[in-house]
Amino acid sequence: MKIHNFIRRSASYLITTAGLFATLCMMSHAGHAQSENVPSFATTGHFTVCTDPTLPPMTFVNGQDTRDLAGFDIDLARELGRMWHADPTILTMDFEGMLPGLSSHRCDMVISGIMKQAGREKNYDAAAYLDSSIVVIARSGTPRITSLDDLSGLNVAVQSGTSYATLVEKTNQHLIQSGRAPIGLQQYPAEDQVVQQVLLGRAHALITQDVEVYYRQKQLGGKVTIILKPDNPDFREFGAYISKDPHNKEILTQTVSSLKQQGILENLSRKWNISNAQEQAFTEKAAPSAFSLEVFFSALTSMAFVKGAALTLIVAVLSHLTAIVISIPVALKLNGPRSPLQMLLSAYVAVFRGAPTLLQLLFIWNALPQFFPIFRESWFTPFLATWLSLSINESAYQVEINRAALRAVDQGQLVAADALGMKRSQIYRHVIFPQALRIALPPTINEFISLLKTTSLASVISLQELLAVTQIQVARTFEFTEYYSAALVYYLAMVFFFLFLQKRIERRFSWADRNKATGHGQ
Amino acid sequence: MVSDTAPNPDIRISIRNLNKFYGEFLALDRLSLDIDKGEKIVVLGPSGSGKSTFIRCFNRIEPHDSGTLMIDGQVIDDRTDLATLRGRVGMVFQNYNLFPHLTVLDNCTLAPRLVRGTPREQAEEEARRYLAQVGIGEQAGKYPIQLSGGQQQRVAIARALSMNPEIILFDEPTAALDPEAISGVVAIMEDLAAQQITTICVTHEMGFARRIADRIVFMDKGSILEVAPPQEFFTAPRTERARAFLDQMIQF
Repeated sequence: MKIHNFIRRSASYLITTAGLFATLCMMSHAGHAQSENVPSFATTGHFTVCTDPTLPPMTFVNGQDTRDLAGFDIDLARELGRMWHADPTILTMDFEGMLPGLSSHRCDMVISGIMKQAGREKNYDAAAYLDSSIVVIARSGTPRITSLDDLSGLNVAVQSGTSYATLVEKTNQHLIQSGRAPIGLQQYPAEDQVVQQVLLGRAHALITQDVEVYYRQKQLGGKVTIILKPDNPDFREFGAYISKDPHNKEILTQTVSSLKQQGILENLSRKWNISNAQEQAFTEKAAPSAFSLEVFFSALTSMAFVKGAALTLIVAVLSHLTAIVISIPVALKLNGPRSPLQMLLSAYVAVFRGAPTLLQLLFIWNALPQFFPIFRESWFTPFLATWLSLSINESAYQVEINRAALRAVDQGQLVAADALGMKRSQIYRHVIFPQALRIALPPTINEFISLLKTTSLASVISLQELLAVTQIQVARTFEFTEYYSAALVYYLAMVFFFLFLQKRIERRFSWADRNKATGHGQ
Repeated sequence: MVSDTAPNPDIRISIRNLNKFYGEFLALDRLSLDIDKGEKIVVLGPSGSGKSTFIRCFNRIEPHDSGTLMIDGQVIDDRTDLATLRGRVGMVFQNYNLFPHLTVLDNCTLAPRLVRGTPREQAEEEARRYLAQVGIGEQAGKYPIQLSGGQQQRVAIARALSMNPEIILFDEPTAALDPEAISGVVAIMEDLAAQQITTICVTHEMGFARRIADRIVFMDKGSILEVAPPQEFFTAPRTERARAFLDQMIQF
């Protein structure tokens, strides 16, 4: 869950030019002439609604198909279309693009779980359609509190980088000034981990938005309880945004209020588990079972896991193959006579063996584009970045394996092949490499297995590999054990396959073992 | 002895004033020697005397720095095609240096196929003939590790023979072998001489040297001190250094 969307939603936006507003006003008045109860943008029978589907239960991708949009906001768009006799086209886009999209006419409306805030209404018009609130949540049985100050001296978990962290810090300033112990702030990268800390008792409470918590009652019901709903003016109600136009705003506000009167919004709230009535149910519901085999098997057989595992496998195999290709000439050079190039290559190996793999990934993804703008372009995907960093990183290790393996081949082999008149390339291909391969194989497979698991680091640069998929699914369902177990099964299956492969390949090296050699007299 | 003036092109191998340096160190010092076709030469001398370096000049595993080396009237220098030269001059090593990842048969066919482009079937047919000649025809399908030291040395000889050489260099071929296996190698080398294949052999085995050599070449500190038939060399060495060397070997 992306709580930080709330912050993004709280940020202020570009002010569009006055000229553009003037044009929009003229256009909307032209529409007004045709229909009294339909906004100007919907008079053609079509209108475009923009949304960023990352905020359940308001707007999100339901399940594993990214085109399967769902949520309160999506339903609201359809209800508005029904009222106006127009078909809504839902356009998904990145959050930053949506409100400017109103000015550029790419979007007629923006309904995307955005808070109605005075700052935004300077540039755009909005109609409130749903009440909301910040909530402080603790384990079931924890007594209610009256203000954030009551959390003094206790640990509170929030998603890192959110406005909730800022809220806690502000409270802490206030607490310290009045001579009281500050709140212990724990920040976690994902919402599901935040909740887990409270469930495990590491944190006393967590801070989040009520609609999300209600939506998650299936996972959380009975385990936690709301201990405080602090009133924060910036988090009171969700608004549907349109371009500045008093006439359209009036029609929109009227339409929303008539949907409210007809009880339609109330129905939607129930459908998405976000009505106020849910707060009671949420607190009283019984705890679900510990481990569901059904969930485990459905995770195991889900397309998302198959794809995640395939991506993990592909990026690991590609990276290691690339690493091997790089490492062979480097190893040969390092085993050869001293040269300036050799010193350079030694430095390469030392640096990339020394630096943490996670740091290399972050460096290539975030820092490299600052030096070389070409890496900012869209072709440079998380996949390519992962491939690049893991190849470079792995090649440093592989160089050492190859160096040792090449050294271990008896020097007499080279002399003997040389004395037979074979060319250097023939000697390496037919005499040295086959023997070095036998020595290099076990540590190489070992490295590969290690690399297969290292790919999970790439989730930090948004590569949808197996662990990233697992985390997304856990975030959606809070079913830690089942999804972690499914991921474990995939990792183990892949590793066991390669161990099996190693055994098969080692059989081909029976020539090195007197008792196992399979040659036969003729 | 040989004249120090010019190489004799009528002689199979003719060497004049051959020098070899390792940096500042003079490893071979003005070596001169003529060798006839089918002759069995044994090079004796203490460790570090340059014996191995000397015979490795013949196939340019160790290229000489100055002087003249002629094989069949052809000057061997840095313009010589190495593949051709090494096809004519085969080599057998102390540790056999067989390719452990290849079967006995493949050890013998690899070079003919890669260097000469001999078709596999033909190469295998020839290799089987050489393996039979050295008495291990039935081992063709085995890997080197499955063979005894004596058998491995026979494979090494067959591997050298498979390039159909005119000269074979032996670098201490019996050092790792038991007496019975040594007898086998002696028989093979006599067989090679009968086929007019010249053999040049470095060894520390006095008995072996006496049995096979047509002539003994005695080296010390990079120089050839004596060249004589074994009967003469072992009973009446001309130089003090050779006498001291032989005394030590007998004591040992």
